[in-house]
Amino acid sequence: MIRLENVTKTYGTEIPAVRDASFEVAKGEFVFMVGPSGSGKSTLLRLMNRQEQPERGAVWVAGKDINEMSDSKVPYLRRNIGNIFQDYKLLLNKTVFENVAFALEVIGRPKHVIRQQVPAVLDLVGLSDKEDRFPHQLSGGEQQRVSIARAFVNRPLILLADEPTGNLDPATGEGIMRLLDRINTTGTTVVMATHDQRIVNMMRRRVVQLDRGVIVRDQERGVYD
Amino acid sequence: MIARISYAFRETWASFKRNVTLTMAAVITSAVSLLLVGSTFLIQRAFDNLLTRWKGDVELIVYVRSDADVNQIQVIEDALNSQPAVIDVSKLRYLDQAESYAEAQKLFAGDPGTLRLLTPENIPSQFKVVPISQDSNLIRELGEQFRSLAGVREVAYAQDVFDVVARVSQFIRIATTAMSIVLLVVAVGLIWNTIRTAMFARRREIEVMKLVGATNWFIRIPFMLEGLMQGLIGGVLSCLGLWGLNTAWSNAVADFNDTELAALVVTDGYMRFVMFILLGIGAIAGAVGSGIAATRFLDV
Repeated sequence: MIRLENVTKTYGTEIPAVRDASFEVAKGEFVFMVGPSGSGKSTLLRLMNRQEQPERGAVWVAGKDINEMSDSKVPYLRRNIGNIFQDYKLLLNKTVFENVAFALEVIGRPKHVIRQQVPAVLDLVGLSDKEDRFPHQLSGGEQQRVSIARAFVNRPLILLADEPTGNLDPATGEGIMRLLDRINTTGTTVVMATHDQRIVNMMRRRVVQLDRGVIVRDQERGVYD
Repeated sequence: MIARISYAFRETWASFKRNVTLTMAAVITSAVSLLLVGSTFLIQRAFDNLLTRWKGDVELIVYVRSDADVNQIQVIEDALNSQPAVIDVSKLRYLDQAESYAEAQKLFAGDPGTLRLLTPENIPSQFKVVPISQDSNLIRELGEQFRSLAGVREVAYAQDVFDVVARVSQFIRIATTAMSIVLLVVAVGLIWNTIRTAMFARRREIEVMKLVGATNWFIRIPFMLEGLMQGLIGGVLSCLGLWGLNTAWSNAVADFNDTELAALVVTDGYMRFVMFILLGIGAIAGAVGSGIAATRFLDV
């Protein structure tokens, strides 16, 4: 589903954020990317939906070299990739329903599709009764669930999660983790960057460890350290 | 498709309300600059009307009585042709009554009273004379000779109006064109800035749109539409202003009957043409300003 071949990415003239990284993620797999801040986890995620382009190497997503595709094709690539962030990136002037509907609206989905899919995905993340709330009326965990609903409403092939539990207390983070696990069991490939040791150790999934931009460990059913 | 169109218009309207002050500034600036552009057109046209008799270096016009017969006209023509030292015979032109009537429509545009009295039957036909000699006294002497011929009604000299008017018209043309260009650039810049501000205010939304796979055009169009509307509203305002100005001017001119000023008026048909041009320029200015902004600031 995702394949990186000797990818190097440098910001400015500094030492590379990612150096000569190669790995593959199979369809339906769940992968943790771990490592301290600045080790290149986020950069790797940004390379996977072409928010960044590498200096060297190739990134293949769903059978396509995404750095070879023209700019005008990138939006269609991204429709297959959901994104979740530490800071949720919700639109504060829109309700829960509108935030999720927005993702469908801006890719031109008709109203009847929106009316059908948004409640379904809100039900999945357990927020059916909060459709009309605004983000500031929700807890952090609930806001992250809205952002997951928005990322998943279009049923993407891949979900990229950048520190999704970073702003949450352990119990709430666990709930989010279980939700991502459930989404993964529907066949969606999930790549999650985190430095939450507890969660990585609890889940026992594949772990890719980064240190100063270099992949130093790639382990099935791994733990944080 | 309908969902997309209604989305674009909703966003445009919301952005208008969000940015009232800047939007007003952009709209007013484009209105003022377009008003100036329109005035340039009208002033130019008015002067053209005034000078239409003298186009092509014509310095002398011999008006022929409307009741003159063919022989009398022939005598005048022969007399003109007999002066090849003073007159450029090859450029001698005779306007019959129908042609003279067409010309009068422009000349008396601001004087419908006079225009009503003229018909293709009672209007004088005319010889337009281009001299070779630069000596204005010589031309005047020659003109006075023609005045005594049987079929001649009157002789007119370009010098009496032309030189001053031509110079004034030239000056006004340059001044107003320069000012309207400067103001148009300012208007495009203001629209550009308004759109940039609108995009900055919505950068979170744009970021999310890009992440969920909205195409660049989908993101851009509401902003471009906003700029286009600003330019168009400016255009409409300038049309109203221009129409008001022109009406006031025409009324004022109508009070000075029987002067050369009567030609300094623009007809409704031309006015409509200018309004159409102004709306076009307004729309283009808006689209250009917002298009540049929407393309340059889309990267988040």
